[in-house]
Amino acid sequence: MILVDEVRKRFGQVQALAGVNFTLADGQTTALLGPNGAGKTTLLRLLVGLLQRDHGAITIDGVDPAQEPLKARRSIGFLTDQVGLYERLSTREHLAYFGQLHGMDAAAIKRRTDDVVGMLAMEDIIDRRAKEFSQGQRLKVALARALLHKPRHLLLDEPTRGLDVMSTRALRRALDTLRQDGCCILLATHVMQEVTHLCDDVIVIAKGKTVAQGSPQQLCERTGIASLEDAFVSLVGTEEGIAI
Amino acid sequence: MRPEFFVVLHKELKEAMRDRRALVVLLLFVVMYPVMLWSILHNLIDKAGKTERESVELVVIGGAQVPTLVTRLTQRNVTVNQRGDMSDSAITDLLKERKQVAVVKVTDQFTDNYNEMRPAKIELWYDSAAEQQNKLNRIEAILRGYNESIAGARLLAHGVSPATLAPIQIEQFDTATSSSRSAGFAGALLGMFFATAFFFCINAAMDSTAGERERRSLELLMAQPVRPFDLLAGKWMAAALVSVLGLTLELLVAHFILKWMPLEELGMSWRLSLPSMLMVIAVSIPLCLFAAAFEIALAMNAKSFKEAQTMMSFAILLPMLPVIVVPMLDLNTATWMYALPVLANKTLLLEVAKGQAIGLLPFVLTAGVPLLGAALAIGFATWRIKSERYVLGV
Repeated sequence: MILVDEVRKRFGQVQALAGVNFTLADGQTTALLGPNGAGKTTLLRLLVGLLQRDHGAITIDGVDPAQEPLKARRSIGFLTDQVGLYERLSTREHLAYFGQLHGMDAAAIKRRTDDVVGMLAMEDIIDRRAKEFSQGQRLKVALARALLHKPRHLLLDEPTRGLDVMSTRALRRALDTLRQDGCCILLATHVMQEVTHLCDDVIVIAKGKTVAQGSPQQLCERTGIASLEDAFVSLVGTEEGIAI
Repeated sequence: MRPEFFVVLHKELKEAMRDRRALVVLLLFVVMYPVMLWSILHNLIDKAGKTERESVELVVIGGAQVPTLVTRLTQRNVTVNQRGDMSDSAITDLLKERKQVAVVKVTDQFTDNYNEMRPAKIELWYDSAAEQQNKLNRIEAILRGYNESIAGARLLAHGVSPATLAPIQIEQFDTATSSSRSAGFAGALLGMFFATAFFFCINAAMDSTAGERERRSLELLMAQPVRPFDLLAGKWMAAALVSVLGLTLELLVAHFILKWMPLEELGMSWRLSLPSMLMVIAVSIPLCLFAAAFEIALAMNAKSFKEAQTMMSFAILLPMLPVIVVPMLDLNTATWMYALPVLANKTLLLEVAKGQAIGLLPFVLTAGVPLLGAALAIGFATWRIKSERYVLGV
């Protein structure tokens, strides 16, 4: 359960977030939609406690990431828009490293490694070094890394970019399983198809503010537009004057 | 559960040990300085052996006029080649071949002047660029001796004691023991030996900070449930360990080279025992910790490996300054030297090598100052990595 209440953040002259409000329920996948520069990355960084907010409140299962970042991060699986890997480590070693950073023991790491490898269909790259991985393979490793410690919350920034059809499907199945296990998933994406397929709830932010929250169905009804993509454009465009 | 900094340390070391290019550079530095030391010493020993065996070659023109001088030269192991008259350019050409140390030319008027007790001229031709100063000094000393013996004989003939000519007798005593002389000479090179503590860890320090930013993996790492200090401490220790390994190997190689070379031929010795050497190495571990901390605190501010390299090329000049500048000033060993990292380690090694008791303070300073520096650097790095501006930049 993630609560975000009237969060604001300013960098010098730039008001990156100007009042963001939403609630993410457990066992739900929520899409975070917003044009480039809407403040998505800043919001995610606030959620993992890498940045401090100027105003408002954030709790992750009751933990404030600004006060107790380490405790908050233990329950979060994070996939950033940067999927840097260590070229001289194998996939298995990557997973072991991040598992250890989360305080997992060797047996748990081994068990969970087998789980996520099966979940994301990555048996072929598990013992290869990351040096010559393709973009899709890199993303898979980054995803596996985020899922390894069985986080209660998942913050995923564009998790399907660069994935082929088979991998995208594997990922969708994995996310579905996690949701059924009661995981709270936030999915920042630009792919509308993904939103309709995967998400129970949608948050639209523009210019640092929450513009709308509701199911895809509700958003379409509210704007009176049948397609979600057009509804999104209308929500962002009519109120903020931004085109994508 | 292992402490988090240890997890980071283990992973960084594993990566560093798989970086083949960095390992080759490490190995190169481990052997480069000891081999340099070996070749310089080898040259010196070679030369020292030669001067004893070889006699000095000298050309004398007009030697028939000075039979006593020729005898004197021959007695003192100078090979005299008697020649007829030569032109100035012929003499110059002859000296250019560098087989002859000098040409002694007894002028034609020598006998007349000599007999009439006017100053009789002997010309000494030599090529100062030929770097045979020692041999030339010997010839000059023999000529001086010849001069004095004639003067003495003439005074005696006038009933004056030849001692009048030498009111002061100078006797020379060289107090440098063989080991302190070796200390002086080896010092110049040994300073560079410790500066390598800054070279060994460069790759590990850059790869784990600037490299991590370049690969775009730092943000995610910072979002793990690990304190920033633990992250930095792990990276710092990994880089420092590489340095400790390199420095230990390098100093041991140098130690065995010095032990094994016939330094006695130079009137020197390397009497340092292996335990003393190990102690010097142990006292140098804080230097490695400082080097790694310093470089991490710098390299973490670079956005790419290349940028970090530029920073580093300036940064490693810093520790080398004291070992290059201070010897130029030609100062005696003083306590403040132990407060300058690198210079301190070099001074300590030399003083220990001289076999004199130096007390505890030099050891405390040599180890303590870099430790303090390392703490400051890591403190700065931790403050920096927590700052918002840094997070925004990754």
